[in-house]
Amino acid sequence: MFGSSEEGARPARLDRDRSLVEAARRDPSHFDALYRKYLAQVYSYAFYELRDHHAAEDATERVFMQALVGLPRFEERVDAFIAARAPMSAADSTEISTFRVWLFRIARNVVANERRRDRRRPVSTLDEAVLISAPEDVVEAAAAREAVGAAWQAVARLPEDRRRAIILRFVDEMSTAEIAAVMDRSEGAVRVLLHRALRSVADDLRSRLS
Amino acid sequence: MPGSGTRDARRTERYLDGLMAADERRAAEVPIDTEVDPAVQFAARELRAGLVRVHPSFRFEESLSARLGAGAARLRAGLPIDGAAATDQGTLAQFHGRAAAAEPAFAEPAFIAAPADVAGLLAGPTSMAVGMPPVTADLTPGEPASRFATQPRAIWPAAAFRRLPDMTARPSRPLIVGGVGVASAAISIGAVYVAWRHSHPASSRMGRAARAAHGRTGSPGRGRRTGVISGILGVVS
Repeated sequence: MFGSSEEGARPARLDRDRSLVEAARRDPSHFDALYRKYLAQVYSYAFYELRDHHAAEDATERVFMQALVGLPRFEERVDAFIAARAPMSAADSTEISTFRVWLFRIARNVVANERRRDRRRPVSTLDEAVLISAPEDVVEAAAAREAVGAAWQAVARLPEDRRRAIILRFVDEMSTAEIAAVMDRSEGAVRVLLHRALRSVADDLRSRLS
Repeated sequence: MPGSGTRDARRTERYLDGLMAADERRAAEVPIDTEVDPAVQFAARELRAGLVRVHPSFRFEESLSARLGAGAARLRAGLPIDGAAATDQGTLAQFHGRAAAAEPAFAEPAFIAAPADVAGLLAGPTSMAVGMPPVTADLTPGEPASRFATQPRAIWPAAAFRRLPDMTARPSRPLIVGGVGVASAAISIGAVYVAWRHSHPASSRMGRAARAAHGRTGSPGRGRRTGVISGILGVVS
């Protein structure tokens, strides 16, 4: 718990969102600050996982609504996951927001449910988004588009846990420790997962280029 | 002593950290680590370069903020928030009379009435389960429809959040009352005025002369009409 006598030694004290979380817990209307802070991240995660704008919006909505309702229970869950984890370095601790981890655990479940619910999603939306961001030079744009599209398409073909690790690392810029917390894995397992995922993407790109 | 797989994974992690840091400080150079598999470096660079920052629409952001605000208000008031259940299961919503019932559901597919919903409408006068997906099971006559209403299912969240208090409050619509009454009163006043004019002819000299010449020998119906009008005036006065 945040308020326990051992709180000085607890990583949870270093949660950079602690003040916002406590304000939201005192008055739920202050949840808006947390919502604004993490909306883009949660949406991006859902978008890269589901590859569909509308599905990502629905998932985002569910995530934040569940977070609002579950906020009073946030402490216990965070405490449980912190206790289960290996001790972190000070540098890791300052980077970690337990609220963010908790929020992304909700997002992970929501997205997993969404994917289970509808496995036949169109996969064109993300590719279109990639096209929009292409540079202006036509030839360069075409080449970049091809490479970029291929890289993220390769990610889409990865097994679920590898794909999730890559998205959390690249899209949401999470540290290995945070990804481990979100995915309920050890940090070592996440490192190996990321390494293998990148190798798979590289193999996929290589086979396409050849 | 860590195995080679673990060592490679650690190197990859360091490389990714460097890549992210370079990107963060907008450095042109991409870090090169000769110990990391070049193919892994290439894949990481491609993923990083091809990353598209996406953001939900402003409209979505604001509407969700409003729904969260409504949910927060309910929580603050100690009311159960439908949104909680909305993420997982259906909830019961009050019927707001005939107007609400008559306003279906073309805007919200989840409101399309399923057989069970229709049965719920018939059986339960004040409430029914909304937002439920169509039920495939046939509802046999006499079967209690509440069975369906008490088994909430996964729903589309927008359908449930709509029922939060300030989201459901409809703007009061001005209602014109008595339009027919006003028209009726105007006609009555006109009729009274005409009758009054008939019974109170002009008192000018010319008028008296005209009445002397024609008045008493007018059309045969005139006297009857005048009598009727005098009767009306009597009633009115």
